Amino acid sequence: MIEKAIQEIFKYYRGNKSELIPILQEVQESLGYLPEKVMHDIAKFIGVAESHVYAVASFYSQFRLLPLGRKRIAVCRGTACHIRGAPHILTTIETTIGLKEGETSDDLEYTLETVACFGCCALAPCLRINMDVYGEMTREKVKELFLPLNEGNKDE
Amino acid sequence: MIKMVTLKIDGKEIKAPEGINLIEAAELAGIHIPNLCYLKGMKGVGACRLCLVEIEGMKAPVIACNTKVKEGMSVNTKTEKVEEVRKFVIDLILSMHPLDCMTCTKAGICRLQSYAYNFGIKESSFTRKKFGYPTDEANPFIKRDPEYCILCGRCVRICKEQGTNVLDFMGRGIGSKVITAGDKPLQESECTFCGSCVDVCPVNALLEADRWRKGREWEYKKIQSQCLSCGNGCDIIVSTKDGEVVKINAGAEEGSAERYICAIGRFGFDSLKNESRVTNPMKRVGDELKVISWDEAISIVSKKLRDAGKNSGFISTAGILNEDALAMKKFASDIVKTKNIDTTVSLYADPDSMRSTGADLENADLIVLVGIDPNQWLRILPALDAIIRRKVERGAKLIVINSGEPKIASVATVSLKDKEVSTLSALAKALEEQMAKGKEQKTEGKEEVSELEKAGDLLIKAEKTVILTSPSLYDASCNIEITASKLKLNVPQVIAIPFEANSKGVTMMGLITEGSSYKDMVGISNKKEQRAKSDSLNVLYAIGEIPLFERPDVDFLIVQNSHLTPLARLADVVLPSTAILESDGTILDYLGRLKKVEKAVEPPGESRTHREIFIDLAKHMGSTLKVTDSEIKKAIKVKKEKLTILPYEKKEGLEVDPFMLIESLNYSIMNGSRLLWLKETEKAVAV
Repeated sequence: MIEKAIQEIFKYYRGNKSELIPILQEVQESLGYLPEKVMHDIAKFIGVAESHVYAVASFYSQFRLLPLGRKRIAVCRGTACHIRGAPHILTTIETTIGLKEGETSDDLEYTLETVACFGCCALAPCLRINMDVYGEMTREKVKELFLPLNEGNKDE
Repeated sequence: MIKMVTLKIDGKEIKAPEGINLIEAAELAGIHIPNLCYLKGMKGVGACRLCLVEIEGMKAPVIACNTKVKEGMSVNTKTEKVEEVRKFVIDLILSMHPLDCMTCTKAGICRLQSYAYNFGIKESSFTRKKFGYPTDEANPFIKRDPEYCILCGRCVRICKEQGTNVLDFMGRGIGSKVITAGDKPLQESECTFCGSCVDVCPVNALLEADRWRKGREWEYKKIQSQCLSCGNGCDIIVSTKDGEVVKINAGAEEGSAERYICAIGRFGFDSLKNESRVTNPMKRVGDELKVISWDEAISIVSKKLRDAGKNSGFISTAGILNEDALAMKKFASDIVKTKNIDTTVSLYADPDSMRSTGADLENADLIVLVGIDPNQWLRILPALDAIIRRKVERGAKLIVINSGEPKIASVATVSLKDKEVSTLSALAKALEEQMAKGKEQKTEGKEEVSELEKAGDLLIKAEKTVILTSPSLYDASCNIEITASKLKLNVPQVIAIPFEANSKGVTMMGLITEGSSYKDMVGISNKKEQRAKSDSLNVLYAIGEIPLFERPDVDFLIVQNSHLTPLARLADVVLPSTAILESDGTILDYLGRLKKVEKAVEPPGESRTHREIFIDLAKHMGSTLKVTDSEIKKAIKVKKEKLTILPYEKKEGLEVDPFMLIESLNYSIMNGSRLLWLKETEKAVAV
């Protein structure tokens, strides 16, 4: 399946060295991250060393070399959120789902990350799960938010 | 020819060739501009910021590695301002670098150590930072310790330039790390373990894996010599301590494209101490080889040779030195009086192709590769592969004429994939046509230019072309030379590439097929059995690492080699000869240069050089044998004959599997050193 997606993306490129970043972006968009095998294919396709693709992918923070969880939790650490308790929110999430910032759970359920600011400081402290924003968070609200999610998974 | 410019460096007026950078120019004046990342022969990248200098008339300091000399320039390399910047840089680097110079193997040649010393920095004024990256020491060749890495990028650049291309940076900023694709151990990447990265590392981040507590730079004796493992015959620098080889580095001029050696040349030296070494003469007693004295050995061998006379045969490899080859030739022809003399060269080359004049590959701007497939990864003429890739990186053009699929074609300017002979004849024709058409309408205006025309165009425009050809296509390649000279173009130099270090030397010393050929003598001739049984050889004398694993059909077999090869195990008498690095002499390399081979260590036990053994045998047979330097010099003179166009044909019977040949010619090195690990690892990956 991955193979097919990659070939589909390659169709729109000529195989030039200069196309590396756009290809990486498109692949990531399609797969969510950059698997090792795909980086190997990209290197072959544009005619550069595999280490070069790896170097570029690891240079930019926009590229991920590991898969993301299905639920991407982003905790805001902007000034407004910070003074209204974002650090506590983050630690509560960390203990609830057992992940540290930047980590992804082994079952690929969650990825926990932090962001500088969502731009909804009026709702501080806030967090985002995929595209949904949750505002005016408290520790209790966090626990409520994650426990049902967790239980929901178990049912599936 | 090259324009010179006059400039001032630290008040000293100097003349420097136009186009060089300030580091090189200062070097000419005997001034060292500190730097950690600059690599001679490559473009400066300005990564370390140590080479900052001040130029009068410019506001801010500039990096010397990337600033070219200009007429009237006045440069100051030691102003207060730049010294302060340099001190700051060293201070910063030291904040992340272990301060264990007392046990560090690189102490003495570490650039960082020497600059810290110059600035008197004992400890960084910044908080110590550590990343805790693991050391890669899963292979027996190269130890990579990122803790010591200063991120100068020399290893990354040298690996890229020579086309091996396995190293790069991961991440950014101070957290960067030099890695292979996927940050895997070296053996899981395309690394060939050539060790070029080790040669250029200015600190202790890249090191030969076996160097721990084996002495440091100032304790070593350095010997400039030659590697004899394949047709490239690379320059090497051997470091010895207490009479033992500690390490080997590339020895060609700094900054030259030729400065490269492969894993065999760099790490094969442990074979000198391998248990398969023969250190005493031996003779067969029943199923076993028993140690005997030299006196006994000499008397047995000379008696056998005297009895056999013209029915004795001599075969050798071309890994022997000129002096040994000439001694062998004289001994066999003049004293034993046999015509059956030949070498392994006859397996892949005819003598004429080995008699070509020299060529200047280093300064060529166009390289034409005909029918040869050098490959770093398979260790088939790896240095040639690296040199060509490096030349291409530095702007030279490459035409590959090969009907197979050589890996090197991926960097070719033009790659012609038809049969070599027909391509060559078409190329000659294209040259003539293009010249006839005249310059103005050559290729301009034409929409579709064929690959052949492109190749022709490159040949017309090139100032210095070197054609490197397989020996079987030498005559056909020479036709291009003749065509070019007829058309009044810059005449290409044609070189046939052999697989052994001294193929050209042994040919010039007269070791060419006269009586029975090598193949006849060892019984692998393709021809139908022509020799009557009574005619067959009584005695076969095999010199060097003969690539044979079965005993040829002879009454008496003498093997003279440094190691007990499979063939030596089957011999009637084994004579211990010196190995690589244990004998003085000369070779004539593939580019026709007479190179000095210098002894680095004493041979073990009772081993003797090939020539000493022949001289002893001659003495015992009542003759004197002498080989002088002037004879060698005379023998290597090439008579330049007037060439005529020969038919475009490929010489038959010279096909070999270069991989198998080079492996078996280095059997004792490959199997008697840590290279065995590499072979086994590769095999494991291939399965």
